[in-house]
Amino acid sequence: MADELTPDELLDKIDYGADSGNWMDTTKSVQIRPGMYCYAAKAESVETLGLPNARPWNPVEEDWKLPDDWQQILHNGIKERLERFRTFKIFMDVCVRCGACADKCHFFLGTGDPKNMPVLRAELLRSVYRNDFTTAGKILQNIPGGQRLGGNRPLTLDVLKEMWYYFFQCTECRRCSVFCPYGIDTAEITIMARELFNLIGLNIDWIATPVSNCYQTGNHLGIQPHAFKDMLEFFVEDLEDITGVDCTPNFQKKGADILFITPSGDVFADPGTYTCQGYLILFKYLKDKYGLDVTWSTYASEGGNFGFFTSHETMKRLNAKMYAEAKRLGVKWILGGECGHMWRVIHQYMDTMNGPADFLEVPVNPITGTRFTNAASTKMVHITEFTADLIKHGKLELDKGRNANRIMTFHDSCNPARGMGLLDEPRYVINNVCDNFYEMPPNTIRENTFCCGSGAGLNAGENMELRMAGALPRATALKHVHEKYGVNTLGTICAIDRAALSTLCEYWVPEVEVAGIHELVGNALILPGEKERTEDLRMEPLPGCEEEE
Amino acid sequence: MTIKQCLTDNHTLLLKKWFKATIDTYPAQSARILGKDADRFDNPVGAVTRETLEDILHLLASDYTSETLEKALDPVIRIRAVQAFSAAEAVSFIFALKDIGETVMDSALVREFDRMVDQVVLAGFNRLMKCREDIFLLKATESKRRIHAAFERAGLVQELKEEDLLGSKKS
Repeated sequence: MADELTPDELLDKIDYGADSGNWMDTTKSVQIRPGMYCYAAKAESVETLGLPNARPWNPVEEDWKLPDDWQQILHNGIKERLERFRTFKIFMDVCVRCGACADKCHFFLGTGDPKNMPVLRAELLRSVYRNDFTTAGKILQNIPGGQRLGGNRPLTLDVLKEMWYYFFQCTECRRCSVFCPYGIDTAEITIMARELFNLIGLNIDWIATPVSNCYQTGNHLGIQPHAFKDMLEFFVEDLEDITGVDCTPNFQKKGADILFITPSGDVFADPGTYTCQGYLILFKYLKDKYGLDVTWSTYASEGGNFGFFTSHETMKRLNAKMYAEAKRLGVKWILGGECGHMWRVIHQYMDTMNGPADFLEVPVNPITGTRFTNAASTKMVHITEFTADLIKHGKLELDKGRNANRIMTFHDSCNPARGMGLLDEPRYVINNVCDNFYEMPPNTIRENTFCCGSGAGLNAGENMELRMAGALPRATALKHVHEKYGVNTLGTICAIDRAALSTLCEYWVPEVEVAGIHELVGNALILPGEKERTEDLRMEPLPGCEEEE
Repeated sequence: MTIKQCLTDNHTLLLKKWFKATIDTYPAQSARILGKDADRFDNPVGAVTRETLEDILHLLASDYTSETLEKALDPVIRIRAVQAFSAAEAVSFIFALKDIGETVMDSALVREFDRMVDQVVLAGFNRLMKCREDIFLLKATESKRRIHAAFERAGLVQELKEEDLLGSKKS
């Protein structure tokens, strides 16, 4: 080793320094800047879940009101996780700092802050790991200049604050991991860092309060069952005006074929509400044509899981209600709505956390006979897989003309795309309900998709500058297809995306609207007995009906 | 030689130096990557900065107004408005053009060129304020529009209508 690299050369290799000096020096770089950070978790939300150190605190104040032994708590927390998660141990050791990930992160590309290079963000934690847990680190601590040589840092308050600032500037999108020759999943490093922060009460409120609401009431917004039902009934009224058909759904229907669970954003936040109306139309169609019985639940009224951004244990607690409700209702399997991180939780964690769900059947579409073997274990199918299967078998009667005003492109949401490989089904559905579809450039879609910049609990208002900076790579590609092909609608299959990308568009490409895929399905699907439709689900004139308004 | 002729003749050199000065406003480790002539989707900051500076140089070499300057500056100012720059730092890159201009111009033209750059700076400030206002408006209205609007339509809340609250934006 010594023959290959001089100490200076080694330092050059690891110096991803900020504006001055060495990256290990936090004094100039730890500035918790307004617009870039999210507010601290409310004490009562932390208390609800029984998580440690619930108290009011403010990230921009000097005193974070940490427990006296916070360093020991974190040391023990790192140790426990190194033993428990082989991935974490490997990811702490294996990085050679080749820099392949450096310019792949939307936050680095948008903010221009070198500490948002995935390698350096991870290095903030690795430096502590090396110092406290490796033999070389322990030896080097005792040699003058050794810490700098080895890239080790003791866990000081400044180091902690810097980690907190930057690990809440990562959306766990995993784009960097696509380019890592070792397959290091930086999202898992962020997941571990956030777990560690939660051990000493350092969550952000945009995660902690939705988690608390979800735990107590069943969904992120804390909307109670009667209001959840009221909203769906209001959609039913609108749909009756638009289609002339009563699309009243089932609630908590025991013995239904399928339990449907979607993120609450679809029920309570525009433009997801129009996607939700699309689901209602689809289920009404399937009931009338094929007798398929789908039920909603006001108990399992949240597909999203912000526990995923808190800790494995919190994620497990929130996820459990899906299986519990499916068991209580005696359905055959679960159908999931258009969501992002919900699908990483389901695809990669649910089965081992709360499974096996032996009381459910391997999902089979009773209308087409298709067996969803990819969901054989989780028993949960993504609605775009389900709808694509129905279309493929000619089971849906669709009028594409009703979406003729939509010139579409598609944003691959990070978790369905990279977390479960759901790439072609949404495109297949779009192409069957709409004639105008144009892809964004290949280095910005599918596995290479750029994050919306607001995932993993960062879709708050106070960090708008961070979100808009992180959105720049996606917006650049969107602007390109808008200018080249006249794209006016950005389709997506994630509730956070539907909210976040709408704001992205307002700032970067105001001429483009955001729509869920099942909003388009709802427009195109010809319901048995429907009246002649003149309006789309947004109650705007359908193409060709403009004069009648 | 007129100033416009000088700008046209020295376009490539001016652009190269001005681009470097602008990218060097980022931390050195980032500037190394953002300064690369990469695919615009792999390096949006670099590509948009280069294109915007080029557009401004073309405008200065032809006819321009404060409105056309402001519009041309929008892409790069819109980016810098959400990055870790103070207001002064966000537009400081425009002043760099004065020093760069001096290296290629007759001294007789420098004063006039400086005045042109001042106009670009003022247009830059205007656009920066507009972008910051956009951000503040998004902060103030995002959750109201996404969530409150849905509840309003459903008749679950009765308050001032969002369209009334936002009326000033549309006018």
